[in-house]
Amino acid sequence: MASDVDTAPLVGRAELVQTVRSALLGDVAHGQTAAVFLTGESGVGKTRLLGEIGARLRDQGALVLTGSCLDIGDASPLHPLLQALRRFDADLSASQARTSSAVRGLLQMFADETAGPDGAGALLERVSRGLHLIAEGRPLVLILDDLQWVDRSTRQLLLYLLAGLGDLQLSVLAAVRAESLQGAHPLRRVLTELRRLRTVRVLDLAPLDRAGTERLAAAVVGRELAADAAEQVWQRSGGNPFVIEELARDLRDGRDGLSETLREIFLARVDALPQHAHAVVHAVAAGVEPVEHWLLAQVLRLPEEELIEAARAAVAHRLLVGADDGYRLRHRLVAEVLAHELLPAERSGLHRRYAEALTAAPAELHQARLAHHWRLAGEPARALPAAVAAAQEAERLHGYAEAHRHWSAALQLAGDPGTPGVDRVELLGHAAEAAHHCGEHARALALLEELAAVQGGEPGCALHIRRARYLAAAGRSALAEKEYQRALEAADCSPGERATAAAHLAELLLHLGRYADAGRRAREALALAATVEGSTTEVVLASSALGFSEAYLEDPDAGLAVMRQALDTAERAGRPEDVACAYLHLAELLTGPLNILEEGVVVARRGAERVAELGLGRTWETRLLAIATNGLFRVGQWAEAEKVVAAALRHRPSGADAVELLLARCRLSVGYGDIEAADRDLDAVATVLAGGGARHVIPLLTLRAGLAMWEGRHDVARQAVQRGLTESRSDDVTILSALVWHGLRAEAEAHASRTVAVDPTAVRRLRDVAERVARKSASAARPVRSVVDGFLALCAAEVSRLDGSDPELWASSVAEWDRRNHPYPAAYSRLRQAEALLARRSRVATAAKLLREAYRVAQGLGAVPLTSEIRELAGRARVSLEEREAADRARGAAPAEPVDDELAALTAREREVLALVAEGLTNKEIGQRLFISERTIGVHVSHIFDKLQVRTRVQASAIQLRNRRG
Amino acid sequence: MTEPVWGPVHRDIVDLLADHPADVPAVVDHLTKLQDMLVRLPPLEESCPLADFNKLYLTITSSVLDGLYDDRFVDPVFLSRLDVEFAARYFDAMRLWTDSSPGTPKAWSCLFERMRGPDARPLPSAAAGVNAHINFDLPFALVTTFDHLESEPVDGSDQHHDYLEINNIFADKIPGLRRGYLERWQLLIDMLNGDIDDWYQGELVEYTRDVAWRNAQKIWRCRHDPDARECERTRLDDNAAALGRLLLSPLGAFLQ
Repeated sequence: MASDVDTAPLVGRAELVQTVRSALLGDVAHGQTAAVFLTGESGVGKTRLLGEIGARLRDQGALVLTGSCLDIGDASPLHPLLQALRRFDADLSASQARTSSAVRGLLQMFADETAGPDGAGALLERVSRGLHLIAEGRPLVLILDDLQWVDRSTRQLLLYLLAGLGDLQLSVLAAVRAESLQGAHPLRRVLTELRRLRTVRVLDLAPLDRAGTERLAAAVVGRELAADAAEQVWQRSGGNPFVIEELARDLRDGRDGLSETLREIFLARVDALPQHAHAVVHAVAAGVEPVEHWLLAQVLRLPEEELIEAARAAVAHRLLVGADDGYRLRHRLVAEVLAHELLPAERSGLHRRYAEALTAAPAELHQARLAHHWRLAGEPARALPAAVAAAQEAERLHGYAEAHRHWSAALQLAGDPGTPGVDRVELLGHAAEAAHHCGEHARALALLEELAAVQGGEPGCALHIRRARYLAAAGRSALAEKEYQRALEAADCSPGERATAAAHLAELLLHLGRYADAGRRAREALALAATVEGSTTEVVLASSALGFSEAYLEDPDAGLAVMRQALDTAERAGRPEDVACAYLHLAELLTGPLNILEEGVVVARRGAERVAELGLGRTWETRLLAIATNGLFRVGQWAEAEKVVAAALRHRPSGADAVELLLARCRLSVGYGDIEAADRDLDAVATVLAGGGARHVIPLLTLRAGLAMWEGRHDVARQAVQRGLTESRSDDVTILSALVWHGLRAEAEAHASRTVAVDPTAVRRLRDVAERVARKSASAARPVRSVVDGFLALCAAEVSRLDGSDPELWASSVAEWDRRNHPYPAAYSRLRQAEALLARRSRVATAAKLLREAYRVAQGLGAVPLTSEIRELAGRARVSLEEREAADRARGAAPAEPVDDELAALTAREREVLALVAEGLTNKEIGQRLFISERTIGVHVSHIFDKLQVRTRVQASAIQLRNRRG
Repeated sequence: MTEPVWGPVHRDIVDLLADHPADVPAVVDHLTKLQDMLVRLPPLEESCPLADFNKLYLTITSSVLDGLYDDRFVDPVFLSRLDVEFAARYFDAMRLWTDSSPGTPKAWSCLFERMRGPDARPLPSAAAGVNAHINFDLPFALVTTFDHLESEPVDGSDQHHDYLEINNIFADKIPGLRRGYLERWQLLIDMLNGDIDDWYQGELVEYTRDVAWRNAQKIWRCRHDPDARECERTRLDDNAAALGRLLLSPLGAFLQ
């Protein structure tokens, strides 16, 4: 299509293009992901840049998919991706048959998708598999324009893929209108969270500067501008490239005077259009872009030749652009200018013609577009069925947010007097359920109220249960409890419903910490369920509530027996979800409050195998394996845990399941000291969490702190803990106690290593929180208290490290963790206990024994950083870690290190002392570090001076530094 | 070249604004650094009107941080996200002002304009900033926070409780804003008898209480509708700007 849209040069963006190219392709490690988000005001050139960069990445061998988000608020889920795939397929040549069949396969997958449990997660997995096939090993780049209009499903897909969960090497380049981010746009938070990751860039696209403005204007005009014209262009455009181009074009074409505003420029052009072209522009403005040629022809009812001529004129006047998939207005700013130029009657006439044309011939977004046009045509009765169809279509693709909006639109349409004979109850029911699914709890409840009002009379049991379910999901537990009670009291409550209500109520009470009440309700539910055929789900749920409440009330065996029985019942009844649920609850009970880890792990793994046989691998197997992984980590079978987590991640889980597994894997990496892997997982978790939710933030920050400490970045650890302290709910004592320990440990490590100054305010706050946790856990159930006590013991001991570490406190921490059978923290505590003893130069033999025990465990785990700390301490204290080596060590043979000539005369001990002298430590500090007296150090130092023939510490240090390896 | 927006501290402020604080301790740190820069901004230096606001805001945010450490709130996750999101809007406004963007909220630009003088009294200056921040920024910050936490602005919820607790902190830290201040504002507006009077009657008396919450609920309901949302934004911006200009007018000195 003839158009000089892209003939103006790209001015002032060369550096940016380069930056984005390397961020998306050059700097991306194999198998990793990257993203660049370009933000900027309208007209600043985002779309142009996307095109430019896309073309270059394509030249570099990347597979580039391009789509745009739509501003009709009721588009369909994943629209930009579907559009990108269709466009890509259209561009493929005959020789690319294999790619083409992969694309069509993926598109067909969307067409065949049906609603179901965990459908959304499974869909994400299938999309990434499909993209994998299409990419055929090439790096994949997804380019999305107008991301401010992105639907929720696409947003989630992007985060899933960027987190690496799809196991796909993918780069995302997206443009966002800066204006949209100023209000309350969901992307705001997403971008704030993402911009801190190493693999994500958020680049603000600024207007051009004065020089750039002049360069661009000169390029359009074809010569340098006169000073006053240049000044005018600069003043009026504010450096906005779109405006500069248009102003310059007017100037070139010798239109009288320079238009004051963009609005004037475009209105003048619209006025100058021939009649048919005028109609074309307005028709496209009323349509959903891109408007296909056939559709435009039907709407305008013009003969082919005239239509083409008219479209050509509109393009020549720079109001329209044409592409293979249809026509678009040249720029969003043009649409804004045109928005108020039509009479209402003209506009609704156009919408009617669109609707009629679309009714006859289905097209992309068929139902959503149909509903949109009929509504704006003022035909609610005809819009209604289309809105309902669009809602069902969205639900099929698990886009409940979009479905909710379609149902709401349908309700509005149904409220119109022009649409009689609508089953309002059914519409309300669907709308409420969709709102509930997409987290619009208040709206779901309001719709339910309306439903009750329409039905009239006393609300029945089913409605109470439904309302309770919504309330519980909204976190309004007290009200939910009342609703369940009303359900149980309702006259029309069937035994089956009664069992359901009682079982859910028991579960709710358990979450509220009212264990006795939960137990009572659970028994009631079990009794009710026994009389009703097919209520296995209720049996499993109630048994689990009972099991946990008994465990918390300190009769673990009773609860366990009930849970085991529930599993038997589920197996006999044979519904796969019930079996899976029963396994899950049993494994959680064992590895959680009961702390019977080995058995819990066995149950979880057996359950995982069983549910995989039952065809629930993706969801339930993943969850069971996550439990097994965490149990294995705690009992110290890290190698096994690593295998299990890898197996679980093969299912490419999404959402909370994925976060759980990534955190588990990260915990292992932190233990192993694999910093790169741990960082990667932390970033992946942060990416998933950027989409919303806050439950996993504290474990994430705790791991971040743990990792930073191994890297010696104690200030980073402190920051992570501080953030956690300000964002954790104080009733969550378990995760809070772990976090506080990390904070105190960071301060203690900072103190010991002297790399970072101790922050006394931070220490005071941490101690306050530790006390508060202790107070709160005193009233908690015993299983909770037991975990918290372990961490509090660590906290108390870390505090003592700030002021002469207390071996007794470390001994009690050892005892706590030994009792719970968690070897890793126990080994760490042994190391510190030994260190404290050595510092006091008392009970050296005990210290040596502790170190050897810690060493054995740490080595067994493969806990590299802990092992090397133990080794380092043992070296300084001259404790032999291996029984066999003990004899060698006694002879003073230090582990061989190549020694340079200048230091050759020094003994191993003297070299150790010299290294510390070079670090700037005083004799006293060196004595503390090496567990020998200050006087002995003095003797070593004087020997060193003699042997090196120096007289000052500075000179000695210089020799040390010179001879240091590397 | 024209003189940079932030004069001799331009580079420092631009560098600072390039960073996006992600938690409450970082926000406090940011505001502290900003305070140090603003008081070096000629010609007004120590009496820079934005510094007057920034100082007050720093005090308030530090109190919120202490409250978070001291377990003063029911839902700290909500509150700290809100605090960060709230502050981000202040920093956004400064960033837009730095770029001389026409998108700078009017509620803010009326205060930013006064950095070059003439001098305004500290109390009205601080109040003008509080006005922009609460009457314009806060409702949007609330909506974004709820959206992110997959929660909703429901009256009587834990979040509502915590939100009102912040209001108490604001009220504590703004001397006499709640009582004596408002009476004097009332007097001022009676004198003006202008067209914002109706709005004043409807909204300003509840200034430190629930207006922003109500506005957030209003935006929440239309958050998926870009046009309605934009319309609400313009309305809030215009209202806040009108009051801001009034506060910074010679009449505002009357409040001191």
